[in-house]
Amino acid sequence: MSRPKEKIFKIEPFKHKVEMDPRYPERTWKLLEDAIHQIYNHNASNLSFEELYRSAYNMVLHKYGDKLYNGLVNTMTEHLREIGRLIEAAQGGLFLEELNSKWMEHNKALQMIRDILMYMDRTYVANFNKTPVHELGLNLWRDNIVRSLKIRDRLLDTLLDLVHRERTGEVINRGLMRNITKMLMDLGSAVYQEEFERPFLDAAADFYKLESQQFIETSDCADYLKKAERRLNEEIERVSHYLDAKSESKITAVVEKEMIFNHMKLLVEMENSGLVSMLTDDKYNDLARMYTLFRRVSTGLATIRDVMSAHLRETGRQLVMDPERQKDPVEFVQRLLDEKDKYDKIINSSFNNDKTFQNALNSAFEYFINLNVRSPEFISLFVDDKLRKGLKGVSEEDVETVLDKVMMLFRYLQEKDVFEKYYKQHLAKRLLSGRTVSDDAERSLIVKLKTECGYQFTSKLEGMFTDMKTSRDTMQGFNTGGDSNEGPALAVQVLTTGSWPTQSGARCNLPTEILSICDKFKAYYLSTHTGRRLTWQTNMGTADLKATFANGQKHELNVSTYQMCILMLFNQADSLSYKDVEQATDIPSLDLKRSLQSLACVKGKNLLRKEPMSKDISEEDVFTFNDRFASKFYKVKISTVVAQKESEPEKVETRQKVEEDRKPQIEAAIVRILKARRVLDHNNIVSEVTKQLQARFLPNPVVIKKRIESLIEREFLERDKVDRKLYRYLA
Amino acid sequence: MGDGRVRFDVGGTTFITSTTTIANAGQGSMLSALIDGRWHQPSDAGIFLDRDPSYFAVLLELLRTGELHVPPGMSRRALHREALFYGLLDHVKEAQRGPLNGNLVECRASISGRAIGDGIAIRASSDGGCCVAHETMVHVYDWALEEKQPLTLDYVSVNDMGFLNPERVVICTYERGEQIGGMACFNVNTGEIEHRYQVTHEGQGKNFPALAFASNHRHVFASCRKRISDYGIGVWDQTTGEHLDFFHDSEGTHLGDARKLQWLPQSNVLFVASLYPQSDNSFISLLDFRMKQKAWTWTDSKMRSSDDKLVMDTVAMDERSTVCVVNQYDNLGFIDTRLSQQAVKWNHMYTHAKLSESEEHCYSRLAACGSQVYASRRDNVLVYCCSDKEATRCIQTANLSKEGRGTISDIAIGGDRLFVLQAEENLFDVWETPILHGVGC
Repeated sequence: MSRPKEKIFKIEPFKHKVEMDPRYPERTWKLLEDAIHQIYNHNASNLSFEELYRSAYNMVLHKYGDKLYNGLVNTMTEHLREIGRLIEAAQGGLFLEELNSKWMEHNKALQMIRDILMYMDRTYVANFNKTPVHELGLNLWRDNIVRSLKIRDRLLDTLLDLVHRERTGEVINRGLMRNITKMLMDLGSAVYQEEFERPFLDAAADFYKLESQQFIETSDCADYLKKAERRLNEEIERVSHYLDAKSESKITAVVEKEMIFNHMKLLVEMENSGLVSMLTDDKYNDLARMYTLFRRVSTGLATIRDVMSAHLRETGRQLVMDPERQKDPVEFVQRLLDEKDKYDKIINSSFNNDKTFQNALNSAFEYFINLNVRSPEFISLFVDDKLRKGLKGVSEEDVETVLDKVMMLFRYLQEKDVFEKYYKQHLAKRLLSGRTVSDDAERSLIVKLKTECGYQFTSKLEGMFTDMKTSRDTMQGFNTGGDSNEGPALAVQVLTTGSWPTQSGARCNLPTEILSICDKFKAYYLSTHTGRRLTWQTNMGTADLKATFANGQKHELNVSTYQMCILMLFNQADSLSYKDVEQATDIPSLDLKRSLQSLACVKGKNLLRKEPMSKDISEEDVFTFNDRFASKFYKVKISTVVAQKESEPEKVETRQKVEEDRKPQIEAAIVRILKARRVLDHNNIVSEVTKQLQARFLPNPVVIKKRIESLIEREFLERDKVDRKLYRYLA
Repeated sequence: MGDGRVRFDVGGTTFITSTTTIANAGQGSMLSALIDGRWHQPSDAGIFLDRDPSYFAVLLELLRTGELHVPPGMSRRALHREALFYGLLDHVKEAQRGPLNGNLVECRASISGRAIGDGIAIRASSDGGCCVAHETMVHVYDWALEEKQPLTLDYVSVNDMGFLNPERVVICTYERGEQIGGMACFNVNTGEIEHRYQVTHEGQGKNFPALAFASNHRHVFASCRKRISDYGIGVWDQTTGEHLDFFHDSEGTHLGDARKLQWLPQSNVLFVASLYPQSDNSFISLLDFRMKQKAWTWTDSKMRSSDDKLVMDTVAMDERSTVCVVNQYDNLGFIDTRLSQQAVKWNHMYTHAKLSESEEHCYSRLAACGSQVYASRRDNVLVYCCSDKEATRCIQTANLSKEGRGTISDIAIGGDRLFVLQAEENLFDVWETPILHGVGC
């Protein structure tokens, strides 16, 4: 038996790793690549998603993620190049259509490819910091289509051409535009900006540069603004239809710059249609349009404001300096108020009630009102006029509006103390002659002044009202106490010295009848108020005289105290010379002349006759009683020739008084400041004093300097021994 | 199939479900792509899937009910793999644990490492993964607690580490010469360095000694204690690794020695704490990088009468604008960051028990989550709930302990998990709040 042939054992080395079929990754990739081709060729209905997903899954699982990813990049790039060629081949207007439809297809394909490679996206891409499939697809589209040499410029030119055509009135396919810009936005905001937005803005700038030049040569300002507004709205609408919302601010900035900013000055100053003529003609709509458009550019409103302000100052200056206007103060102030109303209305209805415009208006008014030194007087006269007669039969509310408007003008005044001075005079006249229409209106104005300037400004004015009231009470007491029914009746107003604008030295010899009752009153008054002194202000009184004339006609004559004194003289004599009258009455000659003038020189109303007949009173004149005086009325008012406005010398006098009153105020301010600061240099004192006093008036630095010198003389202050510029307070 | 029904043939087993159930899978999942109109479905026999039906059944049930029931004997790991295939991994993650609540947590897993030496620090990622430092090595575990590649930065001892995101870990060490050590970002999947974060001088990048680290969604912050000119907090771009900014320590608050950094997203500030033993006194600051200024600072240098109130660890509670601190006797205290230079409100709920000299002692470590503070105390973790009314008051509500555990060296919170690292046994526990189904949802 032969031994069986020994079996030879061959020991295979232990296999550590089961080798996969080396063709497996290649085959699997082929399958997936095919599928991608099919997807791009719209042939996806034969594909099994499950199989493809599993294949991609297996490739990643077996560490062929790299191969899969790179394969995807290559295959997709290849397809996109092919698509690019198709798009390039599209003729003329079809180009955008083709691009859009291919983009839609690519998106759809990309979605499907992402579905298949979802597992790779979640594992391989995340682990190796790769670009996810969807983003990769967009990037490849961007690089191979949108930025390819032959498409890039053509796309841009087509888009810009469409926009241009739409601007010139053609109708374009907005839906298509929307899709294309949407595509650029989907590719990232950087792509949208680089490939479209920036050139679009440049083109718009060129377009509007040209167009605005044309417009400005052919249209007037209002028309130009209408066109600019329309263009602006068109661009905003364009953005909403087919551009990125973020482009709105950029494109409007371009239109604003080209159409408004660059022509701003030209527009505003355009002759016969620019801002000035809009203002003069109250073109509210055009002004509003200018405001809204100019507001969009940085210096736009400032430009309008400056021109408006300059115009306002100039017209205002003409108004206040016009000698014609100065003849009638009421008219003068009414003009100012009308001007203010006009601009208030413009600012309110066209300028959006812009605060800066209101400020410009205020500063312009402040500027020109103070150009005319008589403005405070005129304003006070305006008030006087209103309170005397102008407010009769006007409702309380309307009174308030008028007063408020006056207060507004008052606020513009720098020399408020001058106003106060005049106001006091006018108020005194109103109160003493009982001519004020409404007590409420008077008080209301005083309250307004008080809120504006503080209580010390109005304390004297209020004192005047109090005096009036106390006087009424006193008179009541006097009349009930006194028993005399015969003889003249007396009405006295006791005025506190200092509160009233009294003129000292007003003197005259009262007729004896009057004098006795005056003395009686004096005794009565001093018995109730000890330690006081009464002086008669005959220059401010009035008298009612009963007179009988030649044909037995009786009249009651309402005259001033002076006139009464003169007329009483003619009870004893028929004819008197000027000298006689002057001697008998002792009335100051200026007042005497004035009184005589009103008695003798008013035609048809003259109680006296004058020899020789002339308009003016001279010292040689002789007066006789005119007993042929006739009037329809029983009561006759003989008005004194009063200057409504102040005459030149009076003006100078008031001015001097004002200056005189200011001195103690300035000194008080200086002392107050130095008391607090102990040491201060000249310039700072001047500025502090100005600051403290500007609510009342603007002190002149020269005057301040004089006051300082005076204070040094009186040893309130001294100059610093080392630094002569410094002042030191001496306690 | 019409009428909203879908038929699947998964590895031979037929499942019928509705399109609405599949819609629960969400846009990015394979299942919803399957039934999307984009893809043609050829046969009436249903959509074939070459997968194991038993896992599919579990996942389909998850889509139907929102609950995950893993049958006994089924490998979780395999289930996760299948979930990843279907694109349902996020659903599975979510279904496994509820929001972290110290009063309800259970110990879900105990992971033993194979590293040499004691675990010194543990950090958690936002999705529930963690990393553990052992001397020079960092061991990384993903959310499923699968161990990844161990990481090391040139075998230099780790000072601090943490996650930028679940895929990226940053390690801070001292620098050793020009090339070695410093701070770097690793990809946990490949175990390779993605960036080294360097301090740049005149275009020249240099490694630096990094002590502690924090990050927000864009930036990386680290305390740097190199020279006078590089002493403070550096800022880098997370994705490019570019050095962006440097916050120099101008007021002697030891920024460069900071051992703990924490980004506070609500207040938009960086919490920086320099503590014993790096500095003798404790300094806590909030840095506002938008304005490059200190928004708030606190130090115990003036208020410490004796050395018994050393701050050993601290954690900021962003939502409550408070900082929680713990001293060497495990006493908890709070500081209100809305007030300047305020004294610590110590919580005297328990007092210090005398330590035996022989016992190795680990100081208490802190972690915070919402209004809950977790403090390790020897082998336990104590849970404190803070009062809604008072920012600086809290009450102990739970005590987490596990049989046979030794001293705890560090704790961390992330991804609704609490990680508790043992000092000696090379072991860490994972605590989670179980999902309570049908209750108050």
